[in-house]
Amino acid sequence: MIVEEALVQDLKTKNTQAQAFKILVNTYKERLYWQIRGIVLNHDDADDVLQNTFIKIYKNIDGFEGDSKLFSWMYRIATNEALSFIKQRAKLQGITDIDYQEKLVSNLQADVYFEGDQIQLKLQQAIATLPEKQKLVFNMKYFQELKYEEISEILDTSVGGLKASYHLAVKKVEQYLKTD
Amino acid sequence: MKKNIKNPFKTPQNYFDSFEDKLMDKLSTKESVMPKARGFTVPDNYFDTFNDKLTSKLNKETKVIPLYPIKKIMAIAASIAAIAIIFLGYNWNRTEELSISDLANTDIEAYFENNEFDLTSYEIAEVLPFTDTEFSNMLNSSIENENILDYLSDNTNDFEELNLQENE
Repeated sequence: MIVEEALVQDLKTKNTQAQAFKILVNTYKERLYWQIRGIVLNHDDADDVLQNTFIKIYKNIDGFEGDSKLFSWMYRIATNEALSFIKQRAKLQGITDIDYQEKLVSNLQADVYFEGDQIQLKLQQAIATLPEKQKLVFNMKYFQELKYEEISEILDTSVGGLKASYHLAVKKVEQYLKTD
Repeated sequence: MKKNIKNPFKTPQNYFDSFEDKLMDKLSTKESVMPKARGFTVPDNYFDTFNDKLTSKLNKETKVIPLYPIKKIMAIAASIAAIAIIFLGYNWNRTEELSISDLANTDIEAYFENNEFDLTSYEIAEVLPFTDTEFSNMLNSSIENENILDYLSDNTNDFEELNLQENE
């Protein structure tokens, strides 16, 4: 595990910046990628959003005040970028966010980078029916196995609220999977 | 095998031999109700080549286009003037700190109407204190009996549900 404070300091210093940014990208690219992919579903979109996320991080590192962990700060940027990407795409196509996400799931079967079986496809369909907050919590808790405290810092929501959201999300997903 | 004469019950042939397999099958189907993997894959070497791709994009993004000196000077002068005007105008009008009470109710309503919050009723219930809240607090005008009757006749299928007997 890298020492965050030293890394942040290096990122803010001109002559250590490039090297520190490289370490940052290497350390977090995979985790941020999966966070983004869980929201945008498609690999090419996830790749775009991941690049934009790191560009945003690079440009705004001076504004990072250290009141949250670097990890939560970056996760927050990645999540917001992915969500606004979805909203923009939906707006461009003149459909609602929910319709756009249903479309994403129905495109999964033709996606070369989706090798899920029927049940995994159905799981994605189930997740697509969840409200935004529950969807985020479900992805972060169930697939990425983040701790409630970490999710709480990323989404700026109380741990109690998150537990309730997760509980409801799991119930809805299970219910969806049980129906044919 | 010696028969257990005290026990009159029998099991189907090979029941205990096949029990383990049957149990394992059941366990695995139960687990697969909610799979832990998402089935997403990434192109080969995607993460290895990501850094190079990002670096070239970052270089493109941060490339500074040189301005002609005169344009540069004019831009600086214009921005100083703009900042001075904004600063003066801001202080001129500013008499006290803004607070939530300075917002018009219609603005607040419009904000809630035009922004999607995606809150469930559980989440709303979590932040709204309902202890001293009366139903009438949420209404601007009182409800006429006639409106209540209209609402009930439009929205009730079974009048028995209303328990009207006692008031008849």
